Amino acid sequence: MYCFFGVLIGTLVGVLPGLGPASAMAILLPATFKVEPVSSFIMLAGIYYGAMYGGSTTSILVNIPGEAASVVTCLDGHQMALKGRAGPALGMAAFSSFIAGTFAVIGLTLVGPPLAGMALKFGPPEYFSMMVVGILLLTYLSSGSMIKALIMAGFGLILSGVGMDTIGGEFRFTYGIRRLLDGIGIVPTVMGLFGISEVLMNLETEIRRDILTNRVKNLLPTLKDWADSIGSVIRGTILGFFLGIIPGGGAVIASFASYAIEKKVAKHPEEFGKGAIQGVAGPEAANNAAAGGAFIPLLTLGIPANPVVAVLLGALIIHGLQPGPMLLSKAPDVFWGTIVSMYIGNGMLLVLNLPLIPLWVQVLKVPYYLLYPLIILFCLVGSYSIENNSGDVVIMLVFGIVGYLMKKFRYEGAPLVLALVLGKMFETTLRQSLILSRGDFSIFVSRPISLAFLIVAVLLLITPIITQRKKLSTLEEQQEPN
Amino acid sequence: MSSADRISGIFWLLFSVFISIESYRLGLGNVHQPGAGFIFFWTAVAMGVLSIAVFVRAWFGKKTGARESPVFGKENVLKIILVLLSLFLYAFFMEAMGFIPITLLLFIFLLGVIEKRRWVFTIFVSVAVTGISYLLFEIWLKSQLPKGILGFLRF
Repeated sequence: MYCFFGVLIGTLVGVLPGLGPASAMAILLPATFKVEPVSSFIMLAGIYYGAMYGGSTTSILVNIPGEAASVVTCLDGHQMALKGRAGPALGMAAFSSFIAGTFAVIGLTLVGPPLAGMALKFGPPEYFSMMVVGILLLTYLSSGSMIKALIMAGFGLILSGVGMDTIGGEFRFTYGIRRLLDGIGIVPTVMGLFGISEVLMNLETEIRRDILTNRVKNLLPTLKDWADSIGSVIRGTILGFFLGIIPGGGAVIASFASYAIEKKVAKHPEEFGKGAIQGVAGPEAANNAAAGGAFIPLLTLGIPANPVVAVLLGALIIHGLQPGPMLLSKAPDVFWGTIVSMYIGNGMLLVLNLPLIPLWVQVLKVPYYLLYPLIILFCLVGSYSIENNSGDVVIMLVFGIVGYLMKKFRYEGAPLVLALVLGKMFETTLRQSLILSRGDFSIFVSRPISLAFLIVAVLLLITPIITQRKKLSTLEEQQEPN
Repeated sequence: MSSADRISGIFWLLFSVFISIESYRLGLGNVHQPGAGFIFFWTAVAMGVLSIAVFVRAWFGKKTGARESPVFGKENVLKIILVLLSLFLYAFFMEAMGFIPITLLLFIFLLGVIEKRRWVFTIFVSVAVTGISYLLFEIWLKSQLPKGILGFLRF
C-alpha cells in the first residue's frame, strides 16, 4: 500500500513542473514518522523512482520537463508527439523505464550485500577520497564551466560548516542567529535552489505550453520501434546504473550522457532532435537505472549519491537507523523490504502509468497562474514541516533567491547541494584521517583503495585542462594559414 | 556572459576573502590536530583562486568585443519582487497568525493582486485551496501547522 502511494505521488510529482522528488519527500516526511521505518522508506523510495517515470510525460506532451532528469527527453519525445507519435513515445518511455528500473533493482540485490561487506574495510581516508571523487565527478560532468562548478562545490562545503563543529564543539558561521545553530538543512536548501528559483524564473518569462489536444493513441511501440531502440535501452541501462552508483553521478547526468552516446552511435544522427525514438528510449532507461543505482551507495556505504537520496538518508536517520555497511545486519527488513518493494513498484508503475496518461494530461492543463501558487504552498509547508520552524521557511526563501541568481549568472546548483550533503562527513573523515596519521598526508596515498580514488580525482581535474589546451592549439593552427 | 562573469568573479573573490578571515579566527590548528576553521580556510583560498580565474577569463572575453545580453531583463521584475516580499511576510507571520489566515491572505494576494484575476474567482480558489491544504497536511498527513490566532478553536 505504501509502495502504491509512493509511486503514485512520485508520478504526479514527476508530471508537475517545478515540484521535484526532493520537495515531495520533504513534504511527506513528517507523515511517515508514525509508521514503521520500512513502510516509510518504501513510500519515500517509491516517490523517487516514480518521479523518474512521470517526468517523461510532460517532456513528451508539453515540451516542459516535469523533472530535471527528463530535460533531454523533450528533444526527441516532443518532436515525436508533434508528428502524431505521442503514443509510441510515451509507451517506449514507460517500457524502457521499466526494463532499466528492474535491472537496477537486480543489480542492487546482487551488488549490495558484497559491497556492504567490503565497505566494512573502509576507514576515514577511503571515505574521504571517495567523496573527493564524487564532488569532482559532478563538477567534471556539469554542463557549464568546471571552474564555476568547483566554486559552487566550495560554497556548498562552507555552508555545510555552519552550526556546531562536531569534533571541537564550537559554533561556526552562526553570527548569533539561533536558527543557524543546528546548521543549514538540506531539504529547505534543495527546495529553494530548485523549486522556488524555478518559479521565479518562470514568472520572469511567461511559460507557453502547447499541450497536445489530440487523443493519445497506440501506446504500444511497434516491432520496428523496438528493433530501433532495444540497443539504446541496454546502453542507457548499463550507463545509468554505473553513473547512479558513483556519488555525484545521478539521473540527470545519466540521461544527458546517454543521449550523447546514442547520437554518436546512431546510423542516422541527423534524425536526433527531429523525433528519433532512440533519443527517448536511451535517456529514459538511463535516468531510471541511475535512480535505482543510487540506492547502492546509500544502503551499503551510507553515502548519498545525490540530493534526493540525501533526503532518504535523512529519513532513515530520523527513524533511528544508520545507513551504511551495518544496515544490512542491523535492519535487514529495511534493506530487503526496500528491494522487494522496488520490484513491485516498477511493475505497478508500468501498469499505472499508461492508463493514467489522460489524467496527467488533464493535470497539465491547470494554468500556470494557478499552478505556481500551489507549488509555492507545497514548498512553504514542506520546509516548515521538517522541524515545525519558520526559520527553515526563511532559509528556503533565501536559497530561492540564491538559486535564481545562480541561474542568471550560469552557476549550477547540483555541486553546491552535493557538497552540502557530504560536507560534514567530508570534514570529519579528513580530520579523523589526519589525527590517525598524526598529521601525515601520505595516509591518503599509502592505502590502495584511497590511492585509486585519488588517481581518478587527479585525472578528473587534469582532463579538462588538457582538452582545453588541445582545443586552443587546433584553433591556433587553423588561424595560422590566414 | 562576460559582464555577468566579471561581477560574479568579484563577488566570489570578496566572499572567499571574508570566509578566509572568519576561518582564521575560528582557528586553523595544525595538521596533527586540524582546527574548526582548517578545511574552510583552504576551501576559501581555493575559491579565491578560482574566482580570479572566472574574472580573468571574462575580462579577456570582453576584449573580443562580442555583444552581451543584460543579466536581468526588465520584464516582470516587479512581479518577482512582490511575490518574494509576500513569501517573506508569510514566513515571518505564519506562526503568529496561523496557517489558515495567512495562506488565505497569500492566495488572495497572488491571484487577485499579482495575477489580477476576478475577485469572485480569487476568493473562491483561495478559500478552497486553504481548506483542502489544511485537511491534506494537518488532518491526513499529520503535519503540525501553526494555529496562530485561531488556536482557541482547537480543531
